[in-house]
Amino acid sequence: MKKTFNLVGKPVIRQDGYSKVTGKARFADDINYPDQLFGVMVRLPIAHARIKKIDFSEIENHPSVITICTAGDISGSNISGIIKQDQPVFCDQKIVTPGDVVAMLVGEDEELLRQLAGKVKYEIEPLPALTDPRKALDSDAVLIHPESKSNLIVHYPLRKGDIERGFSQSDHIVEQTYTTQLIEHGYIEPETVIAIPLAADRSVKIIGSIQNPFTARRIVAQALDLPLTRVRVEQAELGGSFGGKDDTMDILSARAAVAALKTGRPVKIRYRREESVLESYKRHPYILHYKVGFSREGKIKAMKIDILADGGAYASMSPFVTWRSVAQATGPYEVENVCTDVRAVYTNNPYTGAMRGFGSPQPIFAQESIMDEIANQLGKTPDEIRWINCLHSGSITATGQKLEKHDVNLIKVLDTAVQKTNFSRQWQACKDKNKSILPFIQKTHASQADKSLLLESEDLVAPDLLLRKGIGLALSYRGCSLGAEGIDAAAAYLSVQPDGSLYLVSGLAENGQGMRTTFSIIAAETLGLSVEDIHYLELDTGIVPDSGPTVASRSTLMGGGAVKIAAEIVRDRLQKFLCDFWKLNKQDVLCFEKNKVFSESDPQKTLRFSEVCQLAYRKGVCLAAIGWYPGPKVDWDESVGQGAAYFTYVYGCQVAEVTVNLGTGEVYVDRVVAVHDPGKVINLLGAQGQVYGGVTQGAGYGLWEEISSADGFIRELNFDQIFIPTSKDVGEIVPVFVEGDDQHGPWGAKSLGEPTLELTAAAIANAVRNAVGVRFFNLPLNLEEIVLKRKLKPGGLKRGSAV
Amino acid sequence: MIPKIEYFSPVNLTELLKLLDRHQQAAKIIAGGTDIIAGFHQGSARFKGIKYLIDLNWIDELKKVELSSDGIVIGSAASFSEILKNELINHHFPLLSTAASRVGSVQIRNRATIGGNFVNNAPCADSVPALLVYDAEIRIRSVEAERAVSLADFLLKPYQTQLRSDEVVTQIRLPFLSENYLGDFYKLGRRRGVAISRITLAVLMKLVESKIDDIRIASGAVTPIGKRFVSLEQFARGKTVSDHLYRELARMLGNEILDATGLRWSSAYKLPVVQQTFYQQLQHIYQTGNLR
Amino acid sequence: MTIELNFTINEKKITLKTEPNRRLLDILRQELNLTGTKEGCAIGECGACTVVMNGKAVNSCLVLAPQINGAEILTVEGLEKDQRLHFLQENFLKHGAVQCGFCTPGMLMSAYALLSKNPNPTEAEVKEAIAGNLCRCTGYKQIIDAILETEGDIK
Repeated sequence: MKKTFNLVGKPVIRQDGYSKVTGKARFADDINYPDQLFGVMVRLPIAHARIKKIDFSEIENHPSVITICTAGDISGSNISGIIKQDQPVFCDQKIVTPGDVVAMLVGEDEELLRQLAGKVKYEIEPLPALTDPRKALDSDAVLIHPESKSNLIVHYPLRKGDIERGFSQSDHIVEQTYTTQLIEHGYIEPETVIAIPLAADRSVKIIGSIQNPFTARRIVAQALDLPLTRVRVEQAELGGSFGGKDDTMDILSARAAVAALKTGRPVKIRYRREESVLESYKRHPYILHYKVGFSREGKIKAMKIDILADGGAYASMSPFVTWRSVAQATGPYEVENVCTDVRAVYTNNPYTGAMRGFGSPQPIFAQESIMDEIANQLGKTPDEIRWINCLHSGSITATGQKLEKHDVNLIKVLDTAVQKTNFSRQWQACKDKNKSILPFIQKTHASQADKSLLLESEDLVAPDLLLRKGIGLALSYRGCSLGAEGIDAAAAYLSVQPDGSLYLVSGLAENGQGMRTTFSIIAAETLGLSVEDIHYLELDTGIVPDSGPTVASRSTLMGGGAVKIAAEIVRDRLQKFLCDFWKLNKQDVLCFEKNKVFSESDPQKTLRFSEVCQLAYRKGVCLAAIGWYPGPKVDWDESVGQGAAYFTYVYGCQVAEVTVNLGTGEVYVDRVVAVHDPGKVINLLGAQGQVYGGVTQGAGYGLWEEISSADGFIRELNFDQIFIPTSKDVGEIVPVFVEGDDQHGPWGAKSLGEPTLELTAAAIANAVRNAVGVRFFNLPLNLEEIVLKRKLKPGGLKRGSAV
Repeated sequence: MIPKIEYFSPVNLTELLKLLDRHQQAAKIIAGGTDIIAGFHQGSARFKGIKYLIDLNWIDELKKVELSSDGIVIGSAASFSEILKNELINHHFPLLSTAASRVGSVQIRNRATIGGNFVNNAPCADSVPALLVYDAEIRIRSVEAERAVSLADFLLKPYQTQLRSDEVVTQIRLPFLSENYLGDFYKLGRRRGVAISRITLAVLMKLVESKIDDIRIASGAVTPIGKRFVSLEQFARGKTVSDHLYRELARMLGNEILDATGLRWSSAYKLPVVQQTFYQQLQHIYQTGNLR
Repeated sequence: MTIELNFTINEKKITLKTEPNRRLLDILRQELNLTGTKEGCAIGECGACTVVMNGKAVNSCLVLAPQINGAEILTVEGLEKDQRLHFLQENFLKHGAVQCGFCTPGMLMSAYALLSKNPNPTEAEVKEAIAGNLCRCTGYKQIIDAILETEGDIK
């Protein structure tokens, strides 16, 4: 273990920063080919129907339509899917959600094609739309994918201990149901991809806003029936993803590739915002039922959890998203008796898949709300109740895994957060002050939709009583990387040049999070260089091994591990070479620091790194290496949900302070103190940025964001109605890092991106409870939820906020 | 997308009026473009069939803000940024300045015009309640004639006004108020930054020895279009201010809005909240004594 | 209908012919290959297409091409001079104000417009100035810090 660092843990300026502040960075839509064509989608305005006939006669001879691509043009498999194969590249049998695409018009004039797309005629047999996930498993429910025999995408049971005995040993039982909403990723860059036919080697090149180039390659190769090597996917600069530019982009890549090979010309697809929101997948809405038994001292004895996730029209990542939920649904607590069932079902709603958090924000909202309810019931403070139950070193998790071989810093992050915010005192003070529930709120919460919702003059509340302060916390543990849900290994390629500068690239993707810089720091630290010596290459599936997807906050841990290994391979070769050159003992350790290499025992023996490389190069030393970082073994028994789900964990605690306006339902987040153990911080600037960004997204999830749909049709298609936070909407955010030791990852560095987001909504909800004296069960805690304790939905689908 | 159009940039009113006269329904006036260009993109029915766009931006007299003998005259193509920084407006009609500050973002305020805001007549137009309580009168020109009409009469129903296809709104005239008016403008959105209004309320009140000598109340986003509550105002005039009166007025406002609007999907939220908000606003005006 | 446009962009005089139904954003990205300015929503809500026109921040997706006749326009490409970054750009780097970078050009232009009128803004003024620029990555904090540090250094 290295004690002091030259770069690691310090604020380092992004490597790609220069190109991004000058407008020179090339995002997918900034790339054009002179003879490129555009692809424009044809959709049918229905959520569920059998397709009988698509009639292009009115447009197929139009001079601007160069070709029309449909399922018939797919030489390989038209059915794609990362886990379960159920999503057509082009629909030809059924429409199962309004985002579905039946054909793509290809031509030079994109705008004209958009108009022509509306002239495609069709015959369909409408089918009943299934939009309520609670009805998906009814015996008379219409089947979304009849070949699956059921609308059940996946069911994960978890059984630990004896749930009935656990409840019988409990002094108290709480039973509550929580719901969370559908939300959009809200990346500012809409989806764009270009496919370029490479006639000479009968292959196709794809450049796009693609989160996972290797997955895109697999889907494209499968659709075109080509060997993987004939599909090269290059990632353009990516304008935000948050888990959202995977499945959609894979299918878009396949459509573009089909058209490119068909026409022999480059084909670009670029989505407008409305199309992006319509077709792309979202975060799962969950219905979460928790029954928790506990002793009068506050010790949890049993948890029975039932979770239903709306997977929408396609399976997408539902099997993995809900798997994380089942593993983590109890929260970071020691519970002897657990019985959890998580199900994901098909509906005709927009499909749901990966989004930052990935099956954790939903159960955390429910479980952390319930922890506070238990505290309230027992007259304890929220931190006390967590203290009594929380995981520590040697604890057994709900999946039967013993937490060991790393710092289990849960109590440490909790204590740090509590101290930094003077939590217990503040919480108690707010609770006492906010004890009375305003008559106004009592009345509006009890109201039904008729004239009685008008207030009488005595209901009106003096202005100074309306603003309420509250404080709340939420705690989590999070399994790092993919866990038992997937194959877990990553690669990095590092090539030192004879002048001492070096190329670096990993098979993971820069999605804006700052991965290139983090990896460059790791390589530079290992070789004693500065970040400027490293040139990070653009990711292309042709130049580096498949490293799995850039998801699950695994980049620093897995890819960073691979970079460190690659750098160490080269360093070891240089060390060996220099020991020979300087005639030192093989055991002598050389220091690589400040662009120099020197012997600790003999300070005379010093060379600049560039000189060493020059010498080694001339002597035929291989200065390039591939680092391969395989994830340690995990195991899982799917029938009972038991096993070592993840090889290591990170821990976090966020405290939110809010002001609630009871007269309007506005919640303002005054401050969030976010305490996280990410293992080791590599780039302080980047780590802080993850916290600011994650907390802000979490606040949006907690308070404003919601995609509502009626009959499967989305109402909010653009940023005039999708309320992601602006610069004015969230108060102070205070990142605090409690670093823990771990044998995995570069110097113990693990995960941070998702932990920062998953806690915020839950912490805010607990702060609101503290402020209002009422528990809210349904996200988002928007204006109507606070004032009425229910959601209001417009009847029609018209845009804009009319009355 | 923006349809194929012919674009005109008249530099004076005469040219403009001739163009309007010639093209009638096929023409649409563009000023800031913040509604119309976004509307084209979204395929809004309100902007279908347009062949000609006539731009007001090149006509300087439509952008001026000037003093007149009895008030100020605002050119219809003055942007919200210009209104926001205008000292005359800020001094004499501060509720309009506040309303302007709550329109969209900086980028939107730099383009969007005050005339466009009410000619478009969306229920949530932020400037409308402020203009209504100031008794705004607008001037409308066509080749044949000039007419003056109160803004309250000009607005007919959502997205509809009295404006004929050969006419243009040239000016907004705000008459000076006598001294001693107190007032407040309130906007509620779903978030703090850049939000469509859920509720807007503008209130002006003149007290003489604790009696309401004059009161003007207007709302936006809670009624189908921005609206003055005349009978409520009449009820209040001459009454002595008290917490009791404020409560009574707030209660009555809820009834008036319900009568004007009927039950909507949002009524369960908006009615109690607008009552509570209005009550607070009256308290606030009385306690802080904000001028106008 | 084809029209001729004369305007200045990043201190360069430009004359070009185009159709009147195009937007300033299209002129920048398609005619002039100034692709630093981004399209995110096309309805003036996200601010990714923000440029400075006659000293004011505007959404270039809501400006009709013929409306730029005679205008002076500054885009993100015009900030760097003689291969030296503008202070604002340097502070964006220093504070970690950039993540994915898609909102960055628009954000820089809103900040530039603010600082040219108001060299010493308060934090509230900075937040107001960039409220029309959505960023999904950063939570705005480091952007606000970068703008605040640039105060007084605008020219």
